[in-house]
Amino acid sequence: MTSYNRTTVLAGVGVAVVLGGMLSYFASASPDGLEKFQLDVGAARPAHDGVHAPPVAFEEYKLKWLGDGFWANAAGGIIGSLVVMGILLGAGWALRRRGARPRL
Amino acid sequence: MHRGSGFLSPPVWGAMAAVSGAALAGSMAVAGRRLDERRVPLMGVMGAFVFAAQMVNFPILAGTSGHLGGGFLLGILLGAPLGVIVMGSILVVQALLFQDGGVEALGANIFVMGVLPCLLGGAVRWLWTRGRPGLVTHAVTVLGGVLAVLAGATAVILFLWWSKSLPANVTLLQAVGVMDFIHLWIGLVEGLVTVAVVRFILAVRRDAVLGPAPVPDAKGTAV
Repeated sequence: MTSYNRTTVLAGVGVAVVLGGMLSYFASASPDGLEKFQLDVGAARPAHDGVHAPPVAFEEYKLKWLGDGFWANAAGGIIGSLVVMGILLGAGWALRRRGARPRL
Repeated sequence: MHRGSGFLSPPVWGAMAAVSGAALAGSMAVAGRRLDERRVPLMGVMGAFVFAAQMVNFPILAGTSGHLGGGFLLGILLGAPLGVIVMGSILVVQALLFQDGGVEALGANIFVMGVLPCLLGGAVRWLWTRGRPGLVTHAVTVLGGVLAVLAGATAVILFLWWSKSLPANVTLLQAVGVMDFIHLWIGLVEGLVTVAVVRFILAVRRDAVLGPAPVPDAKGTAV
């Protein structure tokens, strides 16, 4: 692994820990833009059949086995960020082209 | 801005699944032919950043919060095709692992938070590739962030309207007005954060965004 790749992946881990694991705990709990619209205008009741994934390990981004405090939220944010990064690094390294010509 | 499950009718989520599926497939095909390996670590880091940043709701107006969308930022830093791939991965993880957004609404969510803002970001990208970014580049990027969020917010209302999920006592225009007014302020933050992050990434890893540094020719002008 080149030092560029190593530094960048470490930066991703840092982002996951600081932003996803720590700052997110202090996020505003007020309804977000779409939820606020639904509260104000009243389009809150689902009218069609839909599918939500089963809450196997996480609820509200909190790892269930750690309760619902700081650490449960930190685990959710860090694991989620790292899963996304892992998928993208895996897919990207599988798709990449070496050499000078490719540009994207 | 993730629609939960049950708000979209089958024709709407079906159509949007087809559109976003095609956009993702096209992006993967382009990436499979032309992806530069120097982009890959940046894709991973930006994926982690946008996922984590979406968890950090900031207060706007009274009793309302907003969070970064991130698709516009991804479009600028990675171009539209790679941006769509990163945003699609984030939304799939959010829907399948964290129950944020209905599974059947994934196509619509990828369109609203991925395809639309990534295309706008990809259009603004060339401004950042031309030498030193000036006032115009900064202003257009902030404005583009506002437009990207408003485009998504408007699309959400159109999907709800098309699904007959808007309440009977509001007109389509009223609903768009309420939704876009809330998202105007979220969009402003999106634009400002996007400028800050693009500037930061260009300062530390310009080559990861734009390829290797341009080689000056004999006259000293970069080519």
